[in-house]
Amino acid sequence: MTLTSNMISTKAITKTVTTSQGELQILQPISFDVKAGETVAIVGASGSGKSTLLGLLAGLDQVSSGEIYLDNQPLHSMDEEQRARLRGEKVGFIFQSFMLVQSLTALENIMLPAEIAGLSDARKRALEALEQVGLSHRGSHYPNQLSGGEQQRVAIARAFITRPKILFADEPTGNLDAANGDKIENLLFDLNQQLGTTLILVTHDSELAARCQRQLKMHGGVLEDTSVTALEGQRHAG
Amino acid sequence: MRGNAMALSLSWRLFRHEARRGELTVILLAIVLSVASVLSLSLFSERLQSALSDKSAEFLAADRMLGSDKPVPDSWLEEARQRGLAVSQRNQLRSMAFANDKMMLTDVRAVDAFYPLKGVVKVSDMPFGLPQETRDLPALGEVWIGSRLFQVLGISLGDELEIGDKAFVVSKAVIELPDGGFNLFGGDPVVLMNLADLPATNVTGPGSRTDYDYLFAGEDSALDDYYAYLKPQLNRELHYWRSVKDEDSPLGRSVKRAEQYFLLASLLAIVLAAVSIAVAAQRYSQRHYDPVAIMKTLGAPAAMVRRVYLLQILFITLLGIVVGGVVGFGIQQLIASLIADKVPVALDTWYWRPFFIAIFTGLVCAMLFSLYPLLKLFSVPPLRVLRRDLGASMGSRSLQFVAAGLAIFLLMWAYSGNLTISAILLACGLLLVASLMLVTLGLIAVGRKLGQGRMGAWQLAWARISRRAMDNSVQLISFAVTIMLLLVVLVMRNDMVQQWRDQLPEGTPNYFMINITQQQLPKLEQHFVEHGVDIEHFYPVVRGRFAAINEETIRTDVSKEEDSNSRGRQGLGREANLTWSNQLQHENHVVEGTWHGEQSSEGEPRVSVEKEVALRLGIKMGDLLTFNIGSEVVKAKVSSVREVNWQTMQPNFFFVLEPRSMANFSPTYITSFHLDSDKKPELAGLMAPFPTVSLFDVDARINQLRSIVEQVSMAVEFILVLVLCAGTLVLVAQVQSSMDERMQELAILRTLGAKGLLIRMSVILEFVIIGMVAGLMAAMANELALYLLQTQIFNMQASIHWDFWLLAPLVGALVVGILGALSCWRLLSFNTSELLRRMI
Repeated sequence: MTLTSNMISTKAITKTVTTSQGELQILQPISFDVKAGETVAIVGASGSGKSTLLGLLAGLDQVSSGEIYLDNQPLHSMDEEQRARLRGEKVGFIFQSFMLVQSLTALENIMLPAEIAGLSDARKRALEALEQVGLSHRGSHYPNQLSGGEQQRVAIARAFITRPKILFADEPTGNLDAANGDKIENLLFDLNQQLGTTLILVTHDSELAARCQRQLKMHGGVLEDTSVTALEGQRHAG
Repeated sequence: MRGNAMALSLSWRLFRHEARRGELTVILLAIVLSVASVLSLSLFSERLQSALSDKSAEFLAADRMLGSDKPVPDSWLEEARQRGLAVSQRNQLRSMAFANDKMMLTDVRAVDAFYPLKGVVKVSDMPFGLPQETRDLPALGEVWIGSRLFQVLGISLGDELEIGDKAFVVSKAVIELPDGGFNLFGGDPVVLMNLADLPATNVTGPGSRTDYDYLFAGEDSALDDYYAYLKPQLNRELHYWRSVKDEDSPLGRSVKRAEQYFLLASLLAIVLAAVSIAVAAQRYSQRHYDPVAIMKTLGAPAAMVRRVYLLQILFITLLGIVVGGVVGFGIQQLIASLIADKVPVALDTWYWRPFFIAIFTGLVCAMLFSLYPLLKLFSVPPLRVLRRDLGASMGSRSLQFVAAGLAIFLLMWAYSGNLTISAILLACGLLLVASLMLVTLGLIAVGRKLGQGRMGAWQLAWARISRRAMDNSVQLISFAVTIMLLLVVLVMRNDMVQQWRDQLPEGTPNYFMINITQQQLPKLEQHFVEHGVDIEHFYPVVRGRFAAINEETIRTDVSKEEDSNSRGRQGLGREANLTWSNQLQHENHVVEGTWHGEQSSEGEPRVSVEKEVALRLGIKMGDLLTFNIGSEVVKAKVSSVREVNWQTMQPNFFFVLEPRSMANFSPTYITSFHLDSDKKPELAGLMAPFPTVSLFDVDARINQLRSIVEQVSMAVEFILVLVLCAGTLVLVAQVQSSMDERMQELAILRTLGAKGLLIRMSVILEFVIIGMVAGLMAAMANELALYLLQTQIFNMQASIHWDFWLLAPLVGALVVGILGALSCWRLLSFNTSELLRRMI
């Protein structure tokens, strides 16, 4: 395939799981593209398949059929090791439950992706990132000594430390109160804009979704609408 | 390279932080426990064994003895000295001693300056006097003689005594020789003299029968090597080699059993350690599912994750080994110094083997038992970051059980070198696991029924048990295995110590009287009663020559027939002591045929024969035995074979005849009685009216035996305490780790507003039920393990221990319940949000 400016490209991807009642297709064939630098929200009810889709796009899970390209790399034909390497090089993550390593300090948590990627200036970068998220005084604290909002800021700093080309966020404000949620949203979009990162986020929050340029709506494993623009989205939401 | 450095740095940081935050406590504790218990047990038992075998070596007056009918080449002794062994010579023979125109057959022992190599000689300045230890030996021209000889020959200290052609001055009374042996009938009074004096007596000429005994002492390995050198040159007809560890001596048996017990206890400590490490490693692995998923998500290759966690386990193991080594050494030192005044353990001797074993155990346990949990950990998919319910995707638990069982078996086998013990323990363990699986299934079924209805503590407890069936089965198994191991060690110790003590109960007869005539008997009986000394039974004795089996005359081989004081080695003795009775003596058991009893029979009179004599002389049931008594001939048919407990310190007999066969003979009587040591001075007065009755003092021998038994028992008790501590710690680790799994549920219940009391009661009930079932199962498995161990390894009588069937479930319920309550208390002391936060 020729190189495109698409950061993500999917062609009829499906996901089937085996349950005690037999095979269950949790994603119907889905095809769409995400351009580099684009911000996309995947919305839908619980159980609609949005987290499954995120897992596939981020290379955390394997498609059952179809093709999926991340920065022109064929994720669908890679094994776990190759996908891990790709994630390390190009992908950042933010999760609803923060997913910080409890026995590492805030600073060490931020350093982790840079260390895994073998960057020699991991510590310097982490200190900068900590500063950027306004937590330089909390670097030596462990996650359970931080509030939810602070933990998510650490997670954001961790996500950006390797300057990933694409960032996946799974309900980034889901565990936070409104005030903290807003702060986190702002931080996320600000950093995203500064660094020109492609952002794909899964959310229930229509306001958060509305801040994205495009929304992908999932319903029962089917992608219903791929053409909603940011403006239209705002109109929908309004 | 870069990845390696990163893995090292990350894993070191993780290790440091987690250790500081107390997250490694359980697994660290498990390793510390395994190393400490194995080290302290094996170090202590090594020291104790060396103390005990020193002590028991005193019975031989040496570690090993070479007995010979002729002097052995000097080169043999030279070789022993070259190998660093201490060597001593003792010549022993029977000879008449003369004094005051009287004479008596004596047991002459001529010894060199090195005698005894082990133990001490005890003497006194008066016959039957209080013993005093001495390092000296009779000077040239002097002899020390047994108390009875003074009595019989009517001599006192300073008098002359002739042996053969030489006259000696009697300078002391011998009260106790370490190798005195104990044989009532063959036991002629001792005459101890200097070896250099022996030739002048001219009693060792042709026709005499002298035992040339060579005593050796030194390191076990040097002794074994020396025996290996000697063995090809020995002639079975002339020579024999003895060691205190020979199973044929009662003491050897006790020491051997104690050693096996220590071995068993150490093995069980290893198993306990392994179980606790397995539990802890499981918990460790589960707690690290998230970090692994995060690292993988962030792009860490599988090799890096593996390196990080293997290194971390290695750090934990090393720290555990170091701390465990220090703790174990401390415990051992403490115990050894606590009992130092009772058991002479040498604290300054250094043994390397226990250290190697402990380190090896720590390494192998930590590595093998964390292997499966680690493999599971490595298999955690990165997708867990999105789907928290995803755990490790590894094969079945049965693989884990097989691997764990195999590892434990290999460890036990490698450590003990004893396939049988290892196999018995493993088999019982497997059986226990299998039956526990079944019980768990049963519990689930029962739980479904019992858990129905309004949600009280009882329902909640049962609901949890049945819902968490698989987890509970693992927990149940580990509880039950732990309790079973503790039971085995406990019951084994009780049985063993009891059997030892039974051999020598308080009030064991410490004096024997023989040669009581029929006329003296009533007077003597009355006299003793008046002086407050109880005598239970007088046995009639007639001496007779055992002449023929089934009319076939017994070949009288001089060298075999002469008696010596070692029971059973060299034949019966010139004359057998025949007794008669209708009553089977206490501690005698008929093993073949039937006891002749009160009923008189037609035809040949019947006789009961002691088992070992029957075996040695080839006497079978129904054989016709002929005894010559004076000029009379008595024939009797073998109607039973008895097993006799020779350690009871009561007169025992090879041959017990039916009374009617002996009606025409006038016997002398023999008896034993107990006299407290504070009444010892009264002895002379007690015996004065009966100068012809011979008295034997076996007090010294009994005390010697008893002190060994007590020391061994005490050592065994300490080992038991150690193992109990180890077991309790394992239980604590198990409850702690299972508490983690309950935390979430507790948090939810708490959040929903459940009262603390309800939660606490339900948790306590759950643990009580699990503890009770585990205890019951453990009692059953214990019975099987004990039966196999006692019959196959310890050569003891096995019995069923019903009391433990009740005790084990009760104690199991109590202990596990209390531990559960304590951990639950800790959890409930957190407030709900803290509890929820801790769940992450």
